[in-house]
Amino acid sequence: MLRKIEQGRFGELIEALLARGPLYAPVRDDRGVNFQLIRKASEPTLDFYNTLQSPKLAWFPQSEDLIRYRLAKGETKGEAISGPVAPTVVLGMRPWDVKSLAIMDLLFLGGGKEDPYWLEKRRLTTVIGYGLASEEEPDGADFFRTLNIGAADSDGSDVFLLKKDGDLLLEGITERGKGLLGELTFLKEGTEEDERYLVAAKAGGKDRKTRFFDLDANAAADKLKAVFADNTFWEKEAEGCISCGTCTFVCPTCHCFDIADETLFRDGVRRRFWDACMFTDFTLEASGHNPRPRTFQRLRQKICHKYSFYIEKFGVVSCVGCGRCTRLCPVNIDIFSLVARAVNL
Amino acid sequence: MQNPYLPMPVRVIKVTTEVDTGEIKTFRLAFVNKEDEERFDYLPGQFAELSIYGKGESPIGIASSPTQKGYIEFTVQRAGTVVPGQVTSALHDLEEGAIIGIRGPLGHPWPLEFLEGKNIVVVGGGFAFTTLRSLVNYMIYEENRRRFGKISIIYGARLPGLLCYKDELALWGKRDDLDLCVTVDKGNEAWEGREGFVPAICKDVAPCAENAVAVICGPPIMIKYTLPVFFNLNFSKENILTSLEMRMKCGIGKCGRCNVGSKYICNDGPVFSLAELDALPRDF
Repeated sequence: MLRKIEQGRFGELIEALLARGPLYAPVRDDRGVNFQLIRKASEPTLDFYNTLQSPKLAWFPQSEDLIRYRLAKGETKGEAISGPVAPTVVLGMRPWDVKSLAIMDLLFLGGGKEDPYWLEKRRLTTVIGYGLASEEEPDGADFFRTLNIGAADSDGSDVFLLKKDGDLLLEGITERGKGLLGELTFLKEGTEEDERYLVAAKAGGKDRKTRFFDLDANAAADKLKAVFADNTFWEKEAEGCISCGTCTFVCPTCHCFDIADETLFRDGVRRRFWDACMFTDFTLEASGHNPRPRTFQRLRQKICHKYSFYIEKFGVVSCVGCGRCTRLCPVNIDIFSLVARAVNL
Repeated sequence: MQNPYLPMPVRVIKVTTEVDTGEIKTFRLAFVNKEDEERFDYLPGQFAELSIYGKGESPIGIASSPTQKGYIEFTVQRAGTVVPGQVTSALHDLEEGAIIGIRGPLGHPWPLEFLEGKNIVVVGGGFAFTTLRSLVNYMIYEENRRRFGKISIIYGARLPGLLCYKDELALWGKRDDLDLCVTVDKGNEAWEGREGFVPAICKDVAPCAENAVAVICGPPIMIKYTLPVFFNLNFSKENILTSLEMRMKCGIGKCGRCNVGSKYICNDGPVFSLAELDALPRDF
């Protein structure tokens, strides 16, 4: 199922999506482009290469209320905040970000226990992926090709969006995606030529050049386990690290969180919020013992979690090569070259 | 689907101060709702998150055995030397009748099927005896006792006043279907039992490794010196079990805090054999 609309009528598309329910889309402000909950149809933009932060916040908000309680003399009762999440659309996700959802599913829905908050939002959210057009160049920090992700992959999207000359092509991938396109009756039918363009773009996306090394996930997992005990290597790699946690906050696959209670007078919420294995107190125990007191141990944990432990546990690399951690690291630590060095040690 | 983050209400029906310092107490809890009690189907070695709204949650090993019906018990040390532990302090201030929350059971139990038919050597130090106590009570329960071979227990604390479960130890001491050896690092005038560190006592007792499994929990320093004793007695790493502790939040393998290697201590542990631990990176 292929539909299209002129790029000049993008606002109309947004207007229609907004009328259906909550919509997350990329918005430009003075810092760059980020996913936001859209209020006005004029806010979103498709003129960006990559967002500063990942869109994971639509499923895993930075701060999320889990339980509501009211302190009482006898029994304090808690009530899960699981209320119906409205069917939501996330528009404009690059293929590597779409891929991150499948990686996170393994954790949040696996291990024999499902996370109801993640599950609910996954069930009710429509993903509109956004392929990289052939005239757009990948950023120098990116290495999604190393992770075998194409710049115009549509897997994991419900609807796949691609710029073509003055048009936006919209391909329905899943039943949900096709259903959504069916509702948007103002869209035009795609032509056979559009179809051919789309097929060519997807195939071409596989060949888009980013930084690349021949990554064999299982071999990398084993190698990193072997390098794990080489403190000299890790101390050197972590020399500049200031444990700021930026890399984890912008990462589409970092999922660590803390849980804390916040009470105002008698009313409170138990909420979870993003945490980072890069922080000193992440593993600090009440006894005062901390198994990872040093910076290099924490950087090692992050790298090995993504390129070794996750592979061993779930069979996939927990990284999509989006380059965000490298671009935003204040001391220029680059996971791509770090892993490449470790693997080739 | 049951929300795994939502605690079930339990009433504190008994509080026992275990040690002279008052810093370790055992809380006996009864479920407020019958269906929660049925759902809380646990085995020795598992743990639960104890929840006090406004303070938070703490992961604590279950100290009672499922053979003890109508209640569950947790032995909790007031945590924190510099900054007091919020939840454990609040727990210690609780009086009988109070209602708190519980999430669980969490983690894997001691591998009971693996232990069946074998001689079991239980080695515990100080306050880390809690889930071992659960295991012992489970094994010596009338209907279960014949499923296990010889049971030897070596339990030590620094001082006589720091031994947990004193009344129960006295009862165990009278049984002829288990060997109990209680030791303290340093006795006092009233102390008539053994004196000596746990590793030394283990060497002295020298349990036979044949068809035997050692289940060891204690402070790191005790474990460090006890393991070589068992290696010398020819216990294989597959036949030495322990339980790990780590800072935890969710308890269900999502929040990432207790991740070591490819394991989440909460969900994949906390019980591990030494052979399994050897396969993990040295990061705990």
